[in-house]
Amino acid sequence: MPSTDSPSAVETSQPEVAAPLAQTQPNGKGKQPEGAQQSSANTEKSKSNSNGKPAGNAQETSSTKKLTPAELKKKAKEEKAARRAQTVAAKEAESAPAAPELSPAGPSTVPQPAGGTSGSQQRGDGQKGSRTQQRTGGPVGNSRNLPFRGSQKVAAATAAPVVPKKEDKTVEFFRHLYRQRTTSIADASKEVHPAVLALGLQMGNYTICGSCARLVAMLQAFKSVIEAYTTPPGNSLTRHLTSHVLSPQIDYLASCRPISISMGNAIRWLKLEISKVDVDTPEAEAKKDLCGAIDVFLQERVTYADKLIAKKAAGKIKDGDVIMTYAKSSVVQRTLLRAFSKGKRFKVIVVDSRPLHEGKHLAAALVNLGMDVQYCLLNGLVHVIQNVTKVLLGAHAMMSNGRLFARVGTAIVAMEANEADKPVIVLCETIKFTERVALDSIVHNEIAPADELVTPGGPLTNWEDMKKLQICNMMYDVTPAEYLHMIVTESGNVPPTAVPVLHRMGNESG
Amino acid sequence: MDSVGNVPPKTLTGTFDIVETYHRILEDDPEITMPVAAIEALVELLAQTDAVTVYETLDLIQTQSAFLKMNIPNSIPLQAGTELFQQYILSCLKPSKTSSGNFEAVRQHLVSNGRLFVHRAKNARDMIARHGQNYIRDGNIVLTHGGSRVVGALLRKAADVKRAGGNVRFKVIYVVKDQRSIECRTVIDSLRAKGIPVAEIDEGTVAYAMRKVDMVIVGAEGVVENGGIISRLGTFQIAQLAMAAKKPFYVAVETHKFVREFILSQDDMESDIDQKIIRFEPDYVEDPTPKTPIRNAVDFTPPKYIAALITENGPNVVAAVSEQLIFLYSV
Repeated sequence: MPSTDSPSAVETSQPEVAAPLAQTQPNGKGKQPEGAQQSSANTEKSKSNSNGKPAGNAQETSSTKKLTPAELKKKAKEEKAARRAQTVAAKEAESAPAAPELSPAGPSTVPQPAGGTSGSQQRGDGQKGSRTQQRTGGPVGNSRNLPFRGSQKVAAATAAPVVPKKEDKTVEFFRHLYRQRTTSIADASKEVHPAVLALGLQMGNYTICGSCARLVAMLQAFKSVIEAYTTPPGNSLTRHLTSHVLSPQIDYLASCRPISISMGNAIRWLKLEISKVDVDTPEAEAKKDLCGAIDVFLQERVTYADKLIAKKAAGKIKDGDVIMTYAKSSVVQRTLLRAFSKGKRFKVIVVDSRPLHEGKHLAAALVNLGMDVQYCLLNGLVHVIQNVTKVLLGAHAMMSNGRLFARVGTAIVAMEANEADKPVIVLCETIKFTERVALDSIVHNEIAPADELVTPGGPLTNWEDMKKLQICNMMYDVTPAEYLHMIVTESGNVPPTAVPVLHRMGNESG
Repeated sequence: MDSVGNVPPKTLTGTFDIVETYHRILEDDPEITMPVAAIEALVELLAQTDAVTVYETLDLIQTQSAFLKMNIPNSIPLQAGTELFQQYILSCLKPSKTSSGNFEAVRQHLVSNGRLFVHRAKNARDMIARHGQNYIRDGNIVLTHGGSRVVGALLRKAADVKRAGGNVRFKVIYVVKDQRSIECRTVIDSLRAKGIPVAEIDEGTVAYAMRKVDMVIVGAEGVVENGGIISRLGTFQIAQLAMAAKKPFYVAVETHKFVREFILSQDDMESDIDQKIIRFEPDYVEDPTPKTPIRNAVDFTPPKYIAALITENGPNVVAAVSEQLIFLYSV
């Protein structure tokens, strides 16, 4: 029955749709009476439903109940007429038949995020609301005259006038990246270990932040998980631990903040380690071995790797250098400390940006040691880059095509350094290498809550109520390999082209 | 591994002086390159040492390499040789760990194999010439610079194609520098003897000549990890001019010159090789040419200017250097 979804959607939005339709569409006449009739019929219903939940099945049934059979019939007829008119219009606009498109296109716009604005409120907005509808419906409003797909969509949107109650505040390009973050332990599965519960929250609010810190914290938490684990009777540790115990922990952590690439590498390694445990090994021994293996892994891949990188990179710092760095990386900090403690005298420029201001911590730590530090925000970059002799950058991950995946803003610093002909040096442990490639920052990224970007009390405080405003707060960006001159890893200093080689040797053979 | 390292390098080996040996080897054989000379010096050290254990030997080689590096101003090319030799020894010792009782045999094995390596390194030049000759086509004009023996061998090999009945006729533009003209002279004479027309120009004429040129082929003293080369002073500017004119810039080089060192720019090199090329003088000086402490001043050509490296294993892109080094040095 085609009318199952349309009445529910019609309830709130029809009056708004009517206005633009009357202006722009030739077949608007066929629609308007229907809309008017609908809205009047559904007024009570939408009032009762003003809590703003997306139109669900319950609503639909309640709305259809309120109509008498005669009204229903009339409505169906009108709808059919409207659809037919649109099909004709669509055909005129040289397009494929629109009718079959109706049902799939109609509901697709329904599940918009719900909240705040109620249906009755929007109705009061009148003209403004209609614009909202145009926007959220994608390219509906403007692409009217475009042939083909656009016009189909128009037909669909107008025939089954499905309009969300609330403007979609996600940014179109990055819509695939939005995840609801878990911010409490209330919904966590009961399998999740308390240590992991705490860790998830700490990661979510950036108390534990940074690719390496998160990796270390995760493996430490997994150690407690393994220690607390007892194999249920009739199962073996090798088969049970990964799928039944480790997976819920990982899922929970991922729901708090997406798993970083280094964490992914470590998880893959740990699963392999578990699968290698002999079935006949006594449980206590197997657990001890696994915890021992985690310790060794952390020592090799993080602790000593950091030490080695710091040693190598500090060797590249000379007296009189001006080192620029962006945001905060633990290994960059370690490198600068080491060079300073070896008696090198150089200046550091910390470039930073909103909203995390991680660079402040680095600058403070360096100043406390008596180093010569200049702190500036990203918008002052061009001004300070002229005196720089080297740029040291931390990494979130190194992609196999030699590109650097790091805190958003890094790409600008690298580009500007390249423009000014300054060498860009990346400090990165091989645990952060991945076989994936990145061409842009869109396909793979992390979107942080947009509220982080809003200054409390600033002009954007109520941004969610502002029409046509979306805020995009992404965490990372991708720096092209051409901007990077050297990558310092624990297995040597290499150019970006050698990333896949080191990754093969480090993460896949081990 | 600095267990025995506190013993002064000289007393341990009596009368043997590695720096002197290195210089003697370089002077005795004009065909030998710096990394190979360093390796030969280390082989001689190994033949003379009275060290009895593996670790003693390794330590000796390490301290002596460091000593040699410290005493040669332009140490990057020879560093390629010493590191390669150390790595070679390490990989030799690995399988023979079980038979550690008979160290003398291991050492004899090393000495003979070390000599074999020197021999092989010399053969590499012929292989490069064979690979490189295919790059020179009929009617080409090749620009080259410096007294590189590899490039000389390559051009002669290409000339032989013509004499053997092929129809590759090419010309050479040779950038001649006054200070090094003797080395250039021998290469130029040998080319003319093979019937190759050679034009001699000075460094200021390179940009003017570049339009006529089809390719640039130069040699190198060392190839660093990012694929950039350390080469005779003046190479960098030729590379830049070649790129500006969109002409390919090839480097003919043996793989034993690949060195595990990362150089980012000219300034970066200064810390390894102190050349004192730019001197600010308040008063007039008779001879403004740099009084560089090393015989041949060098510069660094970044990898982005290099079209390909012609090695004895065939032509390589610059990215292959780091890959080869990673595999070579991961035991």
